Amino acid sequence: MKLFKKIKFILVIQLVTFAFCAMNAQDKGKEIAFLQTDRTVYVAGESLFYKLYVLDEATKKCSNRSKAGYIILRAAHLNPPIMIRVKIEAGMSNGSIVLPDTLTSGVYQIVAYTIEMKNFGEQQFFHKEIVIANRFEKEFKYNVLNPVSIGNSISKCPTLHPEINTDKTLYGLREKVKVILNKIDLKGNVAVSVYEDPQKLVSDKSIVETLSEYVDAPTDSNVLTCYSNENKSKILRGSVIDSKTSKSVRNAKVLLSCVDTIANLQYAVSDSNGIFQLLLNNYYDGKELFLTIKDMPANQSWKIETEDEFAPSEKWSPSLISETVDNNEYINKSQKIVYINKSYPLNTVEIVQPITDTPFICPKLFNCPVKSVYPAEFVALDNFQEIAVELLPLVSISQNNGKYRAQMINATNKMIYNYNVEPVFFLDGVFVDNINKIIGLGSDQIKKIDVIDTERIFGDLVFQGIISIMSKSNEIRNTIPAIQSKRLKNDNFNTGIRYVSTDPGSIQNKNIPYFKQLLYWNPDLEINGTYPASFEFYTSDNSAKFIIKIDGISEDGTPISSSTGIIVKNQINTSEK
Amino acid sequence: MKYCIYFSFLLICISINGQSNVTVPALEKDSFFESKLTGESFFENKQYLGDQYFNNDWAISDILLSSGEMVKNKNLKYNGLFDEVIWMNSSNYGKYKLDKSFISEFWLKIAPGSTLHFKRIHVDGPNESHPFDIFVQVKVEGKVSLYIHHKITITGEENLYVNNNLYYFNRIGKMPVYYIKLITNRYVKMSGIRLSSFLKVFPEEKKEITKLLKENHLKIKTENDLIKAIGLLNKQVFLEN
Repeated sequence: MKLFKKIKFILVIQLVTFAFCAMNAQDKGKEIAFLQTDRTVYVAGESLFYKLYVLDEATKKCSNRSKAGYIILRAAHLNPPIMIRVKIEAGMSNGSIVLPDTLTSGVYQIVAYTIEMKNFGEQQFFHKEIVIANRFEKEFKYNVLNPVSIGNSISKCPTLHPEINTDKTLYGLREKVKVILNKIDLKGNVAVSVYEDPQKLVSDKSIVETLSEYVDAPTDSNVLTCYSNENKSKILRGSVIDSKTSKSVRNAKVLLSCVDTIANLQYAVSDSNGIFQLLLNNYYDGKELFLTIKDMPANQSWKIETEDEFAPSEKWSPSLISETVDNNEYINKSQKIVYINKSYPLNTVEIVQPITDTPFICPKLFNCPVKSVYPAEFVALDNFQEIAVELLPLVSISQNNGKYRAQMINATNKMIYNYNVEPVFFLDGVFVDNINKIIGLGSDQIKKIDVIDTERIFGDLVFQGIISIMSKSNEIRNTIPAIQSKRLKNDNFNTGIRYVSTDPGSIQNKNIPYFKQLLYWNPDLEINGTYPASFEFYTSDNSAKFIIKIDGISEDGTPISSSTGIIVKNQINTSEK
Repeated sequence: MKYCIYFSFLLICISINGQSNVTVPALEKDSFFESKLTGESFFENKQYLGDQYFNNDWAISDILLSSGEMVKNKNLKYNGLFDEVIWMNSSNYGKYKLDKSFISEFWLKIAPGSTLHFKRIHVDGPNESHPFDIFVQVKVEGKVSLYIHHKITITGEENLYVNNNLYYFNRIGKMPVYYIKLITNRYVKMSGIRLSSFLKVFPEEKKEITKLLKENHLKIKTENDLIKAIGLLNKQVFLEN
């Protein structure tokens, strides 16, 4: 009996540890990505709609780790490629990319990844090929890419295939189509696309095929680099390098600030490899970033190099097979439809800007009351030295060999705090590494001066007083960055546009043509596991075979994938038109 | 002996299971990316006789900033004399008075398993000459809440010889002030713990509260009585929705 109890106890311990480790494993696995597009063939000038899934490789559930994703549209001849950063919420993101009118015809590749996936090389990224045709090219011959070899791999990935039911299979022009997705027993989220079948142009990779590729891929757990999770926001990664010796510099303090009406600061200290990382929350979206190294020794020549998160490690060379497809008919039709839609001002697709975003947190340099001086309220003064003498009694500026130095004066004993330490200057919210850059500013240029005359701390940085100057016309942009400084533009998260299917019956002039190759796009159709999901859309004047395609993921990580076809009866021939 | 075996077995299980699945060097840089504290140098004035701190030893503490971000494991002391939070920076061992408006709440871990929760409240009542922010210890929170402002005030003065020199000192002592937050979100100050003062805070519910206190044998003479009374009010008078 005692032995039985002991065995039971041991089994319970085993169970607890397995559960504990399984819970941990969920958070520590690799991430994988799948990107669904509304179509596979586009005409330059159209929008490409996408839905990005970031999944945990082990559980196949939506990953909660990365909050930023990267999408690149590249071609052998496209330099630079189109690059966007997307915001990921609960492992998903959707939006659109406008394909510039100037793109040349050819096969393009979409690459999607998170920074964490960079740890395992580009083979961990999601890749998909699409065809883009320029509107003005008439002869269009291209090579077909190697089709995705699915083989037996599908069986390795349990899949849900909900049946897609339409009220009929043959539809007239401008007719409503009702679609019901048969009930599955799990909750899930799918993206739905209804588009004209491009026949053999390019294979559209489903989520099942993508996940199967990851199953088939050799599991290489060797970490190539050490990228941190972007589990809060984007991370700016860079390194401090000695430009004379090209060696990395450790323990360098890299400061980051940007133009604002309040002094702001963030800093990082470079590690033993000279690498630093700065978290860029939504406060920095779309702003110019000012980076500099604090307290660089006078005889040194350090510089900051930032990493391009879009730079893929390998160059794309399309793996084409020899067969050249002549599919001018389909492409020409697409070109004509785009031409018609551009010619007629009636836009049958309503485009809505999605609502964003959460309030941002500004990394304020100080959160205390300050003494503010408005030079405009006094007699005009020519430069900052005069302003300091006349209006800032606690700031002393001295000149030696044409170089200026500033010191804070103790309010109690009227003595200089420390001759060796200068206060820090901020101009238009940005850290200024040298007082000589602001000494020429007079009353005409300066709107406000905030002075803090005490010793301040910001994290581990200690400042012997702070002088923050707000200029009338962002004078910081006119200053020349020092060798240890760098300025770069931080991009915004791409939001794109939202596709809304409209009723063609609402078009008052029935003679206006209404042609669409994309009849419906919903990147966010929720499946509740209780009732069948349904949606409806309208056919256009384009008679063709259309594919209704759904791809997504259930709450337990099972891929959901289905497709069916409908036919829209041809009554207006576009080529005749 | 058998417990040692069980424990070793447990450790082996965890280590064996722990070796699988860990494939990503997921760098947990939460503390690395956490918000930076801001403040100014704090020079401790030695002209006081008595303790100016609520906690004399540095307490490892977590801070909730007004931006909504958390900063963890910082050495803090609460100075009741100046009503300021003092931070000892571990990189230079300097003492800094944190910017008051930047701190929303903080938790002092004064001993293992004993954490005291403080928050900044904005006091703007008819009894106050002007509105101001103070740090208070959270005692009870509900429809009606109880907070203690651990105020340290000058209670007297004294001249003492130090190294044959005569110095002037201020004698300081604890003088806690109790704040009750009403359901109207107004703060009412109670300088002393007395039944009459307590009942004055709730004029409309006076009879009901008197009865309730009698039933529970509460005389409102100690801090504990006050805590129990506010707890009872939340349970039986001002019911939570």
